[in-house]
Amino acid sequence: MRIQQVKDNKIQYLDLLQFADPNEEALEKKLDTMDLFLLKEDGVIKTICAVRFRKNRKCEILSIVTMEEARGCGYGKYMVHYICEHYSDRCDELYVGIGNCRKLLGFFEKCGFSNSHILAGYFLKKYKEPVYDDGIPLTDMVYFKKRLEAEIDIKKVVDVALEAGRILLKNGGEIFRVEETMTRICNRFHIDQVDIFTLSHAIFVTAKSGEEEVYTKVKNVPLSGTHLGIVAEVNSLSRAISAGRMSLEEAQKRLKEIDKIEPIHPGVQIIGAGFASGCLGYLLGATARESVVAFFIGCILYCWVLLARRYHMSKIISNIAGGVIITGLALAAREVPWLAPVQLNGMIIGALMPLVPGMAFVNSIREIADSDFLSGTVRMIDTLLVFVYIAIGVGLTLSIYHTLGGIVG
Amino acid sequence: MIVELIANGVCAFAGAVAFAVLFSVPRHFYIGCGITGAAGWCVYLILEEYAGLSAAIASFCGTLVVVLLSRMLTVRMKCPITIFLVSGVIPMVPGAGIYYTTYYLVMNQLGMAASKGLEAVKVSFGIVLGIAIVLSIPRDVFQKGYWKQLKYHRKKKNILN
Repeated sequence: MRIQQVKDNKIQYLDLLQFADPNEEALEKKLDTMDLFLLKEDGVIKTICAVRFRKNRKCEILSIVTMEEARGCGYGKYMVHYICEHYSDRCDELYVGIGNCRKLLGFFEKCGFSNSHILAGYFLKKYKEPVYDDGIPLTDMVYFKKRLEAEIDIKKVVDVALEAGRILLKNGGEIFRVEETMTRICNRFHIDQVDIFTLSHAIFVTAKSGEEEVYTKVKNVPLSGTHLGIVAEVNSLSRAISAGRMSLEEAQKRLKEIDKIEPIHPGVQIIGAGFASGCLGYLLGATARESVVAFFIGCILYCWVLLARRYHMSKIISNIAGGVIITGLALAAREVPWLAPVQLNGMIIGALMPLVPGMAFVNSIREIADSDFLSGTVRMIDTLLVFVYIAIGVGLTLSIYHTLGGIVG
Repeated sequence: MIVELIANGVCAFAGAVAFAVLFSVPRHFYIGCGITGAAGWCVYLILEEYAGLSAAIASFCGTLVVVLLSRMLTVRMKCPITIFLVSGVIPMVPGAGIYYTTYYLVMNQLGMAASKGLEAVKVSFGIVLGIAIVLSIPRDVFQKGYWKQLKYHRKKKNILN
Protein backbone atom coordinates (compact mmCIF):
# COMPACT_ATOMS: atom_id res chain seq x y z
CA MET A 1 0.00 0.00 0.00
CA ARG A 2 1.58 3.29 -1.08
CA ILE A 3 0.37 6.83 -1.39
CA GLN A 4 1.86 9.16 -3.95
CA GLN A 5 1.19 12.73 -4.89
CA VAL A 6 0.43 13.47 -8.52
CA LYS A 7 2.37 16.49 -9.73
CA ASP A 8 1.58 16.75 -13.42
CA ASN A 9 -0.98 15.53 -15.91
CA LYS A 10 -3.70 15.60 -13.30
CA ILE A 11 -6.36 15.77 -15.95
CA GLN A 12 -6.16 12.04 -16.65
CA TYR A 13 -7.64 11.32 -13.22
CA LEU A 14 -10.55 13.66 -13.76
CA ASP A 15 -13.10 11.01 -14.60
CA LEU A 16 -12.19 9.11 -11.41
CA LEU A 17 -12.86 12.23 -9.36
CA GLN A 18 -16.12 12.96 -11.13
CA PHE A 19 -17.75 10.11 -9.34
CA ALA A 20 -17.88 12.22 -6.20
CA ASP A 21 -18.63 15.51 -7.89
CA PRO A 22 -20.49 15.35 -11.17
CA ASN A 23 -19.80 19.00 -11.88
CA GLU A 24 -16.98 18.54 -14.35
CA GLU A 25 -16.28 22.15 -15.20
CA ALA A 26 -16.00 23.23 -11.59
CA LEU A 27 -13.53 20.46 -10.89
CA GLU A 28 -11.50 21.17 -13.97
CA LYS A 29 -11.12 24.79 -12.95
CA LYS A 30 -9.80 23.80 -9.57
CA LEU A 31 -7.43 21.25 -11.03
CA ASP A 32 -4.37 23.47 -11.08
CA THR A 33 -4.64 24.64 -7.51
CA MET A 34 -5.36 21.33 -5.84
CA ASP A 35 -3.11 18.54 -4.65
CA LEU A 36 -3.94 15.09 -5.92
CA PHE A 37 -3.08 11.91 -4.02
CA LEU A 38 -3.32 8.32 -5.22
CA LEU A 39 -3.35 5.26 -2.99
CA LYS A 40 -2.05 2.28 -4.89
CA GLU A 41 -1.81 -1.35 -3.98
CA ASP A 42 0.17 -3.62 -6.32
CA GLY A 43 0.16 -0.78 -8.84
CA VAL A 44 -3.64 -0.55 -8.94
CA ILE A 45 -5.31 2.69 -7.90
CA LYS A 46 -7.62 2.08 -4.95
CA THR A 47 -8.37 5.53 -3.63
CA ILE A 48 -7.97 9.00 -5.04
CA CYS A 49 -8.19 12.21 -3.09
CA ALA A 50 -8.06 15.90 -4.00
CA VAL A 51 -7.15 18.57 -1.45
CA ARG A 52 -7.04 22.34 -1.75
CA PHE A 53 -5.48 25.03 0.41
CA ARG A 54 -7.70 27.71 1.94
CA LYS A 55 -6.77 30.93 3.70
CA ASN A 56 -5.50 31.10 7.30
CA ARG A 57 -3.78 27.72 7.47
CA LYS A 58 -6.82 25.76 6.46
CA CYS A 59 -7.29 23.14 3.81
CA GLU A 60 -10.21 21.24 2.35
CA ILE A 61 -10.76 17.79 0.94
CA LEU A 62 -12.50 18.47 -2.37
CA SER A 63 -13.15 14.91 -3.24
CA ILE A 64 -12.23 11.44 -2.07
CA VAL A 65 -13.17 8.35 -4.04
CA THR A 66 -12.46 4.70 -3.40
CA MET A 67 -12.88 2.38 -6.35
CA GLU A 68 -16.13 0.48 -6.18
CA GLU A 69 -14.57 -2.97 -5.80
CA ALA A 70 -12.16 -1.83 -3.08
CA ARG A 71 -14.66 -0.34 -0.66
CA GLY A 72 -14.91 -1.49 2.92
CA CYS A 73 -11.20 -2.37 3.11
CA GLY A 74 -10.12 0.71 5.03
CA TYR A 75 -8.36 2.39 2.11
CA GLY A 76 -10.40 5.58 2.50
CA LYS A 77 -9.70 5.81 6.20
CA TYR A 78 -6.00 5.27 5.58
CA MET A 79 -6.02 8.01 2.97
CA VAL A 80 -7.72 10.50 5.30
CA HIS A 81 -5.24 9.60 8.00
CA TYR A 82 -2.38 10.24 5.60
CA ILE A 83 -3.80 13.58 4.46
CA CYS A 84 -4.14 14.71 8.08
CA GLU A 85 -0.52 13.98 8.73
CA HIS A 86 0.72 15.36 5.44
CA TYR A 87 -0.86 18.75 6.04
CA SER A 88 -0.30 18.90 9.79
CA ASP A 89 2.80 21.07 9.44
CA ARG A 90 1.18 23.62 7.13
CA CYS A 91 -2.43 23.72 8.26
CA ASP A 92 -4.34 23.79 11.52
CA GLU A 93 -7.72 22.67 10.29
CA LEU A 94 -8.91 20.28 7.61
CA TYR A 95 -12.40 20.74 6.16
CA VAL A 96 -14.55 18.51 4.07
CA GLY A 97 -17.88 19.36 2.48
CA ILE A 98 -20.32 16.53 1.79
CA GLY A 99 -23.94 16.06 0.84
CA ASN A 100 -26.47 15.07 3.45
CA CYS A 101 -25.77 11.39 2.94
CA ARG A 102 -25.73 9.17 5.99
CA LYS A 103 -22.94 6.85 4.85
CA LEU A 104 -20.44 9.64 4.24
CA LEU A 105 -21.35 11.42 7.47
CA GLY A 106 -20.62 8.21 9.36
CA PHE A 107 -17.33 7.73 7.57
CA PHE A 108 -15.95 11.16 8.40
CA GLU A 109 -17.18 10.96 11.97
CA LYS A 110 -15.21 7.77 12.33
CA CYS A 111 -12.14 9.55 10.99
CA GLY A 112 -12.39 12.07 13.80
CA PHE A 113 -14.21 14.93 12.06
CA SER A 114 -16.86 17.00 13.77
CA ASN A 115 -19.63 19.27 12.53
CA SER A 116 -18.61 22.72 11.37
CA HIS A 117 -21.39 24.41 9.42
CA ILE A 118 -24.09 23.78 6.84
CA LEU A 119 -24.68 25.50 3.54
CA ALA A 120 -28.42 25.12 3.20
CA GLY A 121 -29.77 24.47 -0.27
CA TYR A 122 -26.27 24.34 -1.82
CA PHE A 123 -27.01 21.50 -4.23
CA LEU A 124 -30.26 23.06 -5.39
CA LYS A 125 -28.54 26.32 -6.23
CA LYS A 126 -25.30 25.02 -7.80
CA TYR A 127 -26.55 22.15 -9.93
CA LYS A 128 -29.22 22.45 -12.55
CA GLU A 129 -30.31 18.83 -12.27
CA PRO A 130 -31.09 17.22 -8.93
CA VAL A 131 -28.23 15.15 -7.51
CA TYR A 132 -28.91 11.81 -5.90
CA ASP A 133 -26.87 9.73 -3.52
CA ASP A 134 -28.17 6.35 -2.43
CA GLY A 135 -31.53 7.33 -3.81
CA ILE A 136 -31.87 10.41 -1.62
CA PRO A 137 -31.92 13.81 -3.31
CA LEU A 138 -29.15 16.03 -1.96
CA THR A 139 -30.03 19.49 -0.79
CA ASP A 140 -27.60 20.85 1.82
CA MET A 141 -23.83 20.82 1.93
CA VAL A 142 -22.58 19.77 5.37
CA TYR A 143 -19.09 20.91 6.32
CA PHE A 144 -17.01 18.83 8.69
CA LYS A 145 -13.72 19.87 10.20
CA LYS A 146 -10.84 18.28 12.01
CA ARG A 147 -8.10 19.90 14.02
CA LEU A 148 -4.74 18.68 12.80
CA GLU A 149 -2.34 17.66 15.50
CA ALA A 150 0.74 19.73 16.09
CA GLU A 151 3.99 18.73 14.50
CA ILE A 152 5.68 15.60 15.71
CA ASP A 153 8.67 16.29 17.90
CA ILE A 154 11.85 15.99 15.86
CA LYS A 155 13.88 14.76 18.82
CA LYS A 156 11.51 11.94 19.52
CA VAL A 157 11.55 10.79 15.92
CA VAL A 158 15.33 10.85 15.70
CA ASP A 159 15.61 8.97 18.99
CA VAL A 160 13.34 6.20 17.75
CA ALA A 161 15.22 6.02 14.44
CA LEU A 162 18.55 5.90 16.23
CA GLU A 163 17.36 3.16 18.55
CA ALA A 164 16.27 1.10 15.55
CA GLY A 165 19.66 1.70 13.93
CA ARG A 166 21.53 0.74 17.08
CA ILE A 167 19.64 -2.53 17.46
CA LEU A 168 20.26 -3.38 13.81
CA LEU A 169 23.97 -2.62 13.92
CA LYS A 170 24.47 -4.45 17.20
CA ASN A 171 22.90 -7.64 15.93
CA GLY A 172 24.71 -7.90 12.62
CA GLY A 173 22.73 -5.68 10.27
CA GLU A 174 24.56 -4.21 7.29
CA ILE A 175 25.52 -0.54 7.16
CA PHE A 176 23.18 0.28 4.31
CA ARG A 177 20.26 -1.40 6.08
CA VAL A 178 20.91 0.73 9.16
CA GLU A 179 20.95 3.91 7.10
CA GLU A 180 17.94 2.93 5.02
CA THR A 181 15.85 2.04 8.06
CA MET A 182 16.70 5.29 9.85
CA THR A 183 15.97 7.39 6.77
CA ARG A 184 12.68 5.59 6.27
CA ILE A 185 11.54 6.23 9.81
CA CYS A 186 12.54 9.90 9.68
CA ASN A 187 10.88 10.48 6.31
CA ARG A 188 7.71 8.80 7.41
CA PHE A 189 7.35 11.33 10.22
CA HIS A 190 8.08 14.25 7.90
CA ILE A 191 11.68 14.96 8.74
CA ASP A 192 13.09 15.20 5.26
CA GLN A 193 16.58 16.43 5.89
CA VAL A 194 18.46 13.65 7.62
CA ASP A 195 22.14 12.89 7.35
CA ILE A 196 23.33 9.59 8.69
CA PHE A 197 26.90 8.42 8.89
CA THR A 198 27.41 4.88 10.06
CA LEU A 199 30.62 3.11 10.97
CA SER A 200 30.92 -0.50 11.96
CA HIS A 201 30.51 0.46 15.61
CA ALA A 202 28.98 3.95 15.72
CA ILE A 203 26.10 5.95 14.29
CA PHE A 204 26.05 9.72 13.74
CA VAL A 205 22.79 11.35 12.83
CA THR A 206 21.79 14.94 12.16
CA ALA A 207 18.22 15.93 11.41
CA LYS A 208 16.79 19.27 10.43
CA SER A 209 13.16 20.15 10.12
CA GLY A 210 11.65 23.27 8.67
CA GLU A 211 13.16 26.22 10.49
CA GLU A 212 16.44 26.43 12.28
CA GLU A 213 15.94 23.44 14.53
CA VAL A 214 18.85 21.03 14.15
CA TYR A 215 19.29 17.91 16.20
CA THR A 216 22.43 15.79 16.26
CA LYS A 217 23.20 12.60 18.08
CA VAL A 218 26.11 10.16 18.22
CA LYS A 219 25.73 6.61 19.38
CA ASN A 220 28.47 4.14 20.17
CA VAL A 221 27.53 0.57 19.32
CA PRO A 222 29.98 -1.96 20.74
CA LEU A 223 30.57 -5.06 18.65
CA SER A 224 28.69 -8.08 19.91
CA GLY A 225 27.11 -11.33 18.83
CA THR A 226 24.91 -11.89 15.83
CA HIS A 227 21.15 -12.29 16.16
CA LEU A 228 19.56 -12.32 12.73
CA GLY A 229 16.11 -12.87 14.21
CA ILE A 230 16.26 -9.38 15.72
CA VAL A 231 17.48 -7.94 12.41
CA ALA A 232 14.50 -9.51 10.67
CA GLU A 233 12.12 -8.13 13.31
CA VAL A 234 13.43 -4.58 13.02
CA ASN A 235 13.25 -4.89 9.25
CA SER A 236 9.58 -5.79 9.30
CA LEU A 237 8.96 -3.05 11.85
CA SER A 238 10.53 -0.53 9.49
CA ARG A 239 8.30 -1.80 6.70
CA ALA A 240 5.25 -1.35 8.90
CA ILE A 241 6.33 2.17 9.83
CA SER A 242 6.96 3.34 6.31
CA ALA A 243 3.65 1.85 5.18
CA GLY A 244 2.01 4.02 7.84
CA ARG A 245 0.62 1.19 9.91
CA MET A 246 2.38 2.27 13.08
CA SER A 247 2.57 5.42 15.16
CA LEU A 248 5.70 6.70 16.86
CA GLU A 249 4.69 5.49 20.32
CA GLU A 250 3.84 2.02 19.05
CA ALA A 251 7.18 1.86 17.25
CA GLN A 252 9.01 2.86 20.41
CA LYS A 253 7.27 0.18 22.42
CA ARG A 254 7.88 -2.47 19.79
CA LEU A 255 11.59 -1.58 19.60
CA LYS A 256 11.91 -2.09 23.34
CA GLU A 257 10.29 -5.51 23.02
CA ILE A 258 12.55 -6.44 20.12
CA ASP A 259 15.66 -5.42 22.01
CA LYS A 260 14.76 -7.88 24.74
CA ILE A 261 14.41 -10.91 22.48
CA GLU A 262 16.71 -13.60 23.82
CA PRO A 263 19.02 -15.59 21.55
CA ILE A 264 18.14 -19.21 20.93
CA HIS A 265 18.62 -21.42 24.00
CA PRO A 266 22.34 -22.19 24.61
CA GLY A 267 21.72 -25.95 24.63
CA VAL A 268 20.13 -25.79 21.19
CA GLN A 269 23.01 -23.63 19.97
CA ILE A 270 25.54 -26.17 21.21
CA ILE A 271 23.76 -28.99 19.39
CA GLY A 272 23.56 -26.72 16.35
CA ALA A 273 27.31 -26.14 16.45
CA GLY A 274 27.77 -29.90 16.66
CA PHE A 275 25.66 -30.45 13.56
CA ALA A 276 27.47 -27.63 11.77
CA SER A 277 30.81 -29.28 12.55
CA GLY A 278 29.72 -32.78 11.62
CA CYS A 279 27.93 -31.88 8.40
CA LEU A 280 30.54 -29.47 7.09
CA GLY A 281 33.29 -31.87 8.08
CA TYR A 282 31.63 -34.51 5.94
CA LEU A 283 31.28 -32.07 3.04
CA LEU A 284 34.94 -31.09 3.28
CA GLY A 285 36.18 -34.63 3.00
CA ALA A 286 35.93 -36.31 6.41
CA THR A 287 34.70 -39.87 6.65
CA ALA A 288 31.40 -40.62 8.40
CA ARG A 289 33.25 -41.78 11.51
CA GLU A 290 35.32 -38.61 11.65
CA SER A 291 32.19 -36.51 11.17
CA VAL A 292 30.62 -38.08 14.24
CA VAL A 293 33.72 -37.25 16.27
CA ALA A 294 33.66 -33.73 14.82
CA PHE A 295 30.05 -33.42 16.03
CA PHE A 296 31.13 -33.96 19.63
CA ILE A 297 34.21 -31.77 19.34
CA GLY A 298 32.02 -29.03 17.87
CA CYS A 299 29.62 -29.27 20.82
CA ILE A 300 32.44 -28.97 23.36
CA LEU A 301 34.01 -26.13 21.40
CA TYR A 302 30.80 -24.15 21.38
CA CYS A 303 30.46 -24.51 25.16
CA TRP A 304 33.77 -22.66 25.33
CA VAL A 305 32.63 -20.05 22.80
CA LEU A 306 29.49 -19.33 24.82
CA LEU A 307 31.50 -19.14 28.03
CA ALA A 308 33.98 -16.72 26.45
CA ARG A 309 31.09 -14.60 25.17
CA ARG A 310 29.47 -14.44 28.59
CA TYR A 311 32.66 -13.15 30.22
CA HIS A 312 33.40 -10.79 27.32
CA MET A 313 36.78 -12.29 26.60
CA SER A 314 38.74 -10.76 23.76
CA LYS A 315 38.65 -12.41 20.36
CA ILE A 316 42.34 -13.23 20.53
CA ILE A 317 41.93 -15.40 23.60
CA SER A 318 38.66 -17.05 22.67
CA ASN A 319 39.73 -18.01 19.15
CA ILE A 320 43.26 -19.15 19.95
CA ALA A 321 41.93 -21.22 22.83
CA GLY A 322 39.20 -22.54 20.52
CA GLY A 323 41.85 -23.73 18.07
CA VAL A 324 43.80 -25.35 20.88
CA ILE A 325 40.70 -27.12 22.21
CA ILE A 326 39.76 -28.49 18.79
CA THR A 327 43.22 -29.79 18.00
CA GLY A 328 43.75 -31.20 21.48
CA LEU A 329 40.45 -33.06 21.39
CA ALA A 330 41.12 -34.36 17.88
CA LEU A 331 44.57 -35.62 18.94
CA ALA A 332 42.98 -37.27 21.97
CA ALA A 333 40.26 -38.88 19.86
CA ARG A 334 42.94 -40.48 17.72
CA GLU A 335 44.28 -42.28 20.76
CA VAL A 336 40.92 -43.84 21.68
CA PRO A 337 41.24 -47.41 20.44
CA TRP A 338 37.61 -48.16 19.54
CA LEU A 339 37.31 -45.00 17.43
CA ALA A 340 40.11 -45.96 15.05
CA PRO A 341 40.73 -45.40 12.25
CA VAL A 342 40.21 -41.63 12.33
CA GLN A 343 42.40 -38.97 10.77
CA LEU A 344 43.21 -35.61 12.23
CA ASN A 345 42.39 -33.52 9.14
CA GLY A 346 38.73 -34.37 8.81
CA MET A 347 37.94 -33.90 12.48
CA ILE A 348 39.78 -30.61 12.85
CA ILE A 349 38.38 -29.06 9.67
CA GLY A 350 34.85 -29.96 10.66
CA ALA A 351 35.12 -28.75 14.22
CA LEU A 352 36.76 -25.53 13.00
CA MET A 353 33.75 -24.38 11.04
CA PRO A 354 31.66 -22.90 13.90
CA LEU A 355 34.58 -20.58 14.66
CA VAL A 356 34.82 -19.31 11.07
CA PRO A 357 33.54 -15.71 11.01
CA GLY A 358 31.12 -16.17 8.11
CA MET A 359 28.93 -13.26 9.13
CA ALA A 360 31.72 -10.69 9.26
CA PHE A 361 33.16 -12.08 6.00
CA VAL A 362 29.93 -11.78 4.05
CA ASN A 363 29.09 -8.38 5.49
CA SER A 364 32.53 -7.00 4.72
CA ILE A 365 32.25 -8.10 1.11
CA ARG A 366 28.84 -6.53 0.80
CA GLU A 367 30.01 -3.26 2.25
CA ILE A 368 33.02 -3.11 -0.03
CA ALA A 369 30.72 -3.87 -2.94
CA ASP A 370 28.59 -0.94 -1.78
CA SER A 371 31.76 1.23 -1.87
CA ASP A 372 31.65 1.66 1.90
CA PHE A 373 35.35 0.94 2.21
CA LEU A 374 35.76 2.12 5.77
CA SER A 375 33.33 -0.31 7.37
CA GLY A 376 34.22 -2.96 4.81
CA THR A 377 37.92 -2.95 5.65
CA VAL A 378 37.27 -2.89 9.38
CA ARG A 379 35.16 -6.01 9.11
CA MET A 380 37.53 -7.62 6.62
CA ILE A 381 40.42 -7.16 9.04
CA ASP A 382 38.22 -8.60 11.78
CA THR A 383 37.63 -11.67 9.59
CA LEU A 384 41.28 -12.08 8.66
CA LEU A 385 42.44 -11.74 12.25
CA VAL A 386 39.98 -14.37 13.44
CA PHE A 387 41.30 -16.71 10.74
CA VAL A 388 44.84 -15.98 11.91
CA TYR A 389 43.94 -16.59 15.56
CA ILE A 390 42.37 -19.94 14.74
CA ALA A 391 45.43 -20.90 12.72
CA ILE A 392 47.70 -19.90 15.62
CA GLY A 393 45.70 -22.04 18.03
CA VAL A 394 45.74 -25.09 15.77
CA GLY A 395 49.36 -24.59 14.71
CA LEU A 396 50.56 -24.13 18.27
CA THR A 397 49.04 -27.38 19.47
CA LEU A 398 50.20 -29.34 16.44
CA SER A 399 53.77 -28.08 16.72
CA ILE A 400 53.97 -28.77 20.44
CA TYR A 401 52.69 -32.27 19.83
CA HIS A 402 55.16 -32.65 16.98
CA THR A 403 58.10 -31.47 19.08
CA LEU A 404 57.15 -33.82 21.87
CA GLY A 405 57.61 -36.63 19.40
CA GLY A 406 54.03 -37.32 18.37
CA ILE A 407 53.26 -38.17 14.78
CA VAL A 408 51.08 -35.57 13.10
CA GLY A 409 49.20 -36.48 9.94
CA MET B 1 28.01 -40.47 -7.95
CA ILE B 2 24.31 -39.75 -7.50
CA VAL B 3 24.29 -41.30 -4.02
CA GLU B 4 27.27 -39.18 -3.09
CA LEU B 5 25.61 -36.07 -4.47
CA ILE B 6 22.44 -36.72 -2.48
CA ALA B 7 24.42 -37.41 0.71
CA ASN B 8 26.31 -34.17 0.19
CA GLY B 9 23.13 -32.27 -0.49
CA VAL B 10 21.50 -33.55 2.70
CA CYS B 11 24.61 -32.72 4.70
CA ALA B 12 24.84 -29.22 3.23
CA PHE B 13 21.16 -28.69 4.05
CA ALA B 14 21.67 -29.77 7.66
CA GLY B 15 24.88 -27.76 7.96
CA ALA B 16 23.24 -24.58 6.66
CA VAL B 17 20.32 -25.02 9.06
CA ALA B 18 22.77 -25.60 11.92
CA PHE B 19 24.49 -22.32 11.10
CA ALA B 20 21.11 -20.61 10.96
CA VAL B 21 20.60 -21.82 14.54
CA LEU B 22 23.96 -20.35 15.57
CA PHE B 23 22.93 -16.97 14.16
CA SER B 24 19.53 -17.14 15.92
CA VAL B 25 17.57 -17.03 12.68
CA PRO B 26 13.79 -17.33 13.24
CA ARG B 27 12.46 -20.82 12.71
CA HIS B 28 10.36 -20.25 9.61
CA PHE B 29 13.46 -19.31 7.60
CA TYR B 30 15.26 -22.62 8.25
CA ILE B 31 14.01 -24.32 5.10
CA GLY B 32 15.07 -21.39 2.93
CA CYS B 33 18.53 -21.40 4.52
CA GLY B 34 18.86 -25.13 3.99
CA ILE B 35 17.84 -24.94 0.35
CA THR B 36 20.32 -22.16 -0.46
CA GLY B 37 23.09 -24.03 1.33
CA ALA B 38 22.36 -27.34 -0.40
CA ALA B 39 21.97 -25.78 -3.86
CA GLY B 40 25.19 -23.78 -3.57
CA TRP B 41 27.19 -26.73 -2.35
CA CYS B 42 25.82 -29.12 -5.01
CA VAL B 43 26.82 -26.69 -7.77
CA TYR B 44 30.26 -26.32 -6.20
CA LEU B 45 30.68 -30.07 -5.90
CA ILE B 46 29.56 -30.85 -9.44
CA LEU B 47 31.89 -28.26 -10.91
CA GLU B 48 34.87 -29.01 -8.71
CA GLU B 49 34.76 -32.77 -8.48
CA TYR B 50 33.00 -33.96 -11.62
CA ALA B 51 33.73 -31.21 -14.12
CA GLY B 52 37.29 -30.79 -12.88
CA LEU B 53 37.29 -27.02 -12.60
CA SER B 54 39.48 -25.24 -10.06
CA ALA B 55 38.13 -24.66 -6.57
CA ALA B 56 38.10 -20.89 -7.09
CA ILE B 57 35.87 -21.04 -10.18
CA ALA B 58 33.64 -23.65 -8.60
CA SER B 59 33.15 -21.55 -5.47
CA PHE B 60 32.47 -18.53 -7.67
CA CYS B 61 29.67 -20.37 -9.47
CA GLY B 62 28.38 -21.87 -6.23
CA THR B 63 28.23 -18.40 -4.70
CA LEU B 64 26.38 -17.08 -7.74
CA VAL B 65 23.69 -19.68 -7.19
CA VAL B 66 23.55 -18.98 -3.46
CA VAL B 67 23.18 -15.23 -3.88
CA LEU B 68 20.61 -15.53 -6.66
CA LEU B 69 18.52 -17.93 -4.60
CA SER B 70 18.79 -15.79 -1.48
CA ARG B 71 17.76 -12.68 -3.34
CA MET B 72 14.68 -14.44 -4.68
CA LEU B 73 13.82 -15.82 -1.25
CA THR B 74 14.37 -12.41 0.33
CA VAL B 75 11.85 -10.74 -1.93
CA ARG B 76 9.41 -13.56 -1.41
CA MET B 77 9.65 -13.74 2.39
CA LYS B 78 10.30 -10.02 2.96
CA CYS B 79 13.30 -10.34 5.23
CA PRO B 80 16.97 -9.27 5.27
CA ILE B 81 19.08 -11.09 2.68
CA THR B 82 21.83 -11.81 5.23
CA ILE B 83 19.74 -14.62 6.71
CA PHE B 84 20.04 -16.80 3.63
CA LEU B 85 23.32 -15.46 2.35
CA VAL B 86 25.44 -16.31 5.36
CA SER B 87 24.21 -19.83 5.90
CA GLY B 88 24.40 -20.49 2.16
CA VAL B 89 27.96 -19.24 1.67
CA ILE B 90 29.52 -20.76 4.77
CA PRO B 91 30.20 -24.27 3.40
CA MET B 92 32.38 -22.69 0.72
CA VAL B 93 34.34 -20.39 3.04
CA PRO B 94 37.87 -21.84 2.95
CA GLY B 95 38.05 -23.20 6.49
CA ALA B 96 39.85 -26.28 5.21
CA GLY B 97 42.35 -24.13 3.34
CA ILE B 98 43.32 -22.38 6.55
CA TYR B 99 43.78 -25.65 8.34
CA TYR B 100 45.98 -27.11 5.63
CA THR B 101 48.06 -23.95 5.44
CA THR B 102 48.73 -24.09 9.15
CA TYR B 103 49.32 -27.81 9.02
CA TYR B 104 51.98 -27.57 6.33
CA LEU B 105 53.57 -24.59 8.03
CA VAL B 106 53.94 -26.66 11.18
CA MET B 107 55.30 -29.59 9.20
CA ASN B 108 57.82 -27.21 7.64
CA GLN B 109 56.60 -27.88 4.09
CA LEU B 110 56.60 -24.26 3.06
CA GLY B 111 55.87 -24.89 -0.62
CA MET B 112 52.70 -26.81 0.14
CA ALA B 113 51.70 -24.23 2.75
CA ALA B 114 52.07 -21.41 0.24
CA SER B 115 50.05 -23.22 -2.42
CA LYS B 116 47.26 -24.08 0.03
CA GLY B 117 47.23 -20.54 1.36
CA LEU B 118 47.06 -19.08 -2.13
CA GLU B 119 44.23 -21.43 -3.00
CA ALA B 120 42.29 -20.26 0.07
CA VAL B 121 42.82 -16.65 -1.06
CA LYS B 122 41.64 -17.53 -4.57
CA VAL B 123 38.53 -19.23 -3.24
CA SER B 124 37.80 -16.16 -1.11
CA PHE B 125 38.08 -13.96 -4.16
CA GLY B 126 35.73 -16.28 -6.04
CA ILE B 127 33.17 -15.83 -3.28
CA VAL B 128 33.73 -12.07 -3.17
CA LEU B 129 33.20 -11.73 -6.91
CA GLY B 130 30.12 -13.93 -6.86
CA ILE B 131 28.47 -11.89 -4.14
CA ALA B 132 29.45 -8.55 -5.63
CA ILE B 133 28.18 -9.39 -9.11
CA VAL B 134 24.75 -10.65 -8.11
CA LEU B 135 24.24 -7.90 -5.56
CA SER B 136 24.75 -5.26 -8.23
CA ILE B 137 21.67 -6.46 -10.14
CA PRO B 138 18.94 -3.90 -9.47
CA ARG B 139 16.39 -4.83 -6.86
CA ASP B 140 13.38 -4.53 -9.18
CA VAL B 141 14.38 -7.54 -11.25
CA PHE B 142 13.57 -9.81 -8.33
CA GLN B 143 10.16 -8.29 -7.71
CA LYS B 144 7.21 -10.30 -8.94
CA GLY B 145 5.59 -7.35 -10.65
CA TYR B 146 8.64 -6.59 -12.79
CA TRP B 147 8.32 -9.55 -15.13
CA LYS B 148 4.58 -9.17 -15.37
CA GLN B 149 5.02 -5.55 -16.35
CA LEU B 150 7.68 -6.45 -18.89
CA LYS B 151 5.37 -8.99 -20.47
CA TYR B 152 2.56 -6.49 -20.50
CA HIS B 153 4.68 -3.86 -22.22
CA ARG B 154 5.87 -6.33 -24.79
CA LYS B 155 2.33 -7.36 -25.58
CA LYS B 156 1.33 -3.75 -25.89
CA LYS B 157 4.20 -3.11 -28.29
CA ASN B 158 3.24 -6.11 -30.39
CA ILE B 159 -0.32 -4.89 -30.65
CA LEU B 160 0.84 -1.42 -31.63
CA ASN B 161 3.15 -2.81 -34.26
